[in-house]
Amino acid sequence: MNDDATVHVVHVTVNGEEHERTVPARQLLVHFLRDTLGLRGTHIGCDTGNCGACTVIVDGQAIKSCMVLAVQADGLEVETVESLAPRGGSLNPLQQAFHEHHALQCGYCTPGMLMSATAMLRDNPDLSSMPDEELRRSFKGNICRCTGYENIVVAVRAAAGAQEVTS
Amino acid sequence: MLMAPVRYVRPDSVGDALEALEGEDGARVLAGGQSLVNALKLRAARVELLVDITRLAELSEISLEPDGTLVVGAAVTYVEVERSADVARALPLLQHIAAHLVDRQVRNRGTVGGNCCLNDPLSNLPPLFVAIGARFRIAGRDGLREVDADDFFTGPYQTAVRHGELLHSVVVPPLAPDTGLGYQSLQLGAESWALARAAVCLVGDPISSARVVLGCIGPRPLRQPDAEERLIGRRRADVDLQEVERATAVGIRAFGDVHASGKYRLAMAKTVAGRAVAQAIGTEGTA
Repeated sequence: MNDDATVHVVHVTVNGEEHERTVPARQLLVHFLRDTLGLRGTHIGCDTGNCGACTVIVDGQAIKSCMVLAVQADGLEVETVESLAPRGGSLNPLQQAFHEHHALQCGYCTPGMLMSATAMLRDNPDLSSMPDEELRRSFKGNICRCTGYENIVVAVRAAAGAQEVTS
Repeated sequence: MLMAPVRYVRPDSVGDALEALEGEDGARVLAGGQSLVNALKLRAARVELLVDITRLAELSEISLEPDGTLVVGAAVTYVEVERSADVARALPLLQHIAAHLVDRQVRNRGTVGGNCCLNDPLSNLPPLFVAIGARFRIAGRDGLREVDADDFFTGPYQTAVRHGELLHSVVVPPLAPDTGLGYQSLQLGAESWALARAAVCLVGDPISSARVVLGCIGPRPLRQPDAEERLIGRRRADVDLQEVERATAVGIRAFGDVHASGKYRLAMAKTVAGRAVAQAIGTEGTA
């Protein structure tokens, strides 16, 4: 048995681009994204599935990429924070709203917040009828130590008012 | 890497999954991974082979049979339970619990079968399934066998699923029309770990059948026969909640941890049991 026990060839579409890589079974999706593909936008916060900084969207669903194996993403479509705005381009409406409403301070949790918000807004494009309590509930899996969440809620509401958030 | 070296297979059928599980002593089913992957990262669990069942369609179905029996596949996720019209019709309480578990990301991955097979004393679903008399369909080399919830949860992190087997589905029998259900938890925070939990199922008025089940305070979901005895035969309006609470959580040594002492958990177990009975009495129909 070698150090990695088994390795697997996976085909994963990340932000629209298909990648073929050979990964050890024990590699987590977050390490595949950051170390194998070099997409460092997805942050590692706690390594224990609590903080949500590593949240990405897999086949349309927000998940914590530290609790999924890379090999489990074989054949699936992954979206990371890098997908939201092209490199050097303008911010998308959700990012713009985070910027304008000061929905971040240190920014460490922001990639996860943005991906949770993106998935949530796709399911609920119109937030006007969603009470604050429910909106806050949808971010329970994302911990922020700076903002007190207040401005994140404001920004997500503002983004829902803007169009094309969900591309 | 955080995890120790491990092998991984993603079988295409339940039969192939069983073969993989049977052929390796250190094999373990990988479903949503929302507990197991963490345990592997902490190297708290030793696993040689992960058998990924998340893409087995046979385990991912929810069905409502003509007689009202609800069958939930082991690999059905919480979010699928939350969105299922069949669950909404047959057992809205299960839908409510699934919709309020942990957080959105975990609900997108975590499975009903994982929750039951982990059988963490704090798991949400085991006490409910014991209270409503669910049956667990286990797949093995000789086909499917069914185990009553009372016998499925054998100890902390242990179930009736044996080596070479896997949980196929949970079978929820139709509830009698005059069933009342109660499910109450004392949680550290909203949708967080619970210190005490009680699930109650009462049938009839006068009550002809009663199940009072505690979670969080023992090695497995604990039926409370003394409390059940005090409910059976009573008219619902005449139930003495204090008497039920006194008959609950007697003679148990609960574990303590950083969040609460065992003594506090026991006191709270009585309280949530009383609340769950009150809820069951108040919720006529399908709860």
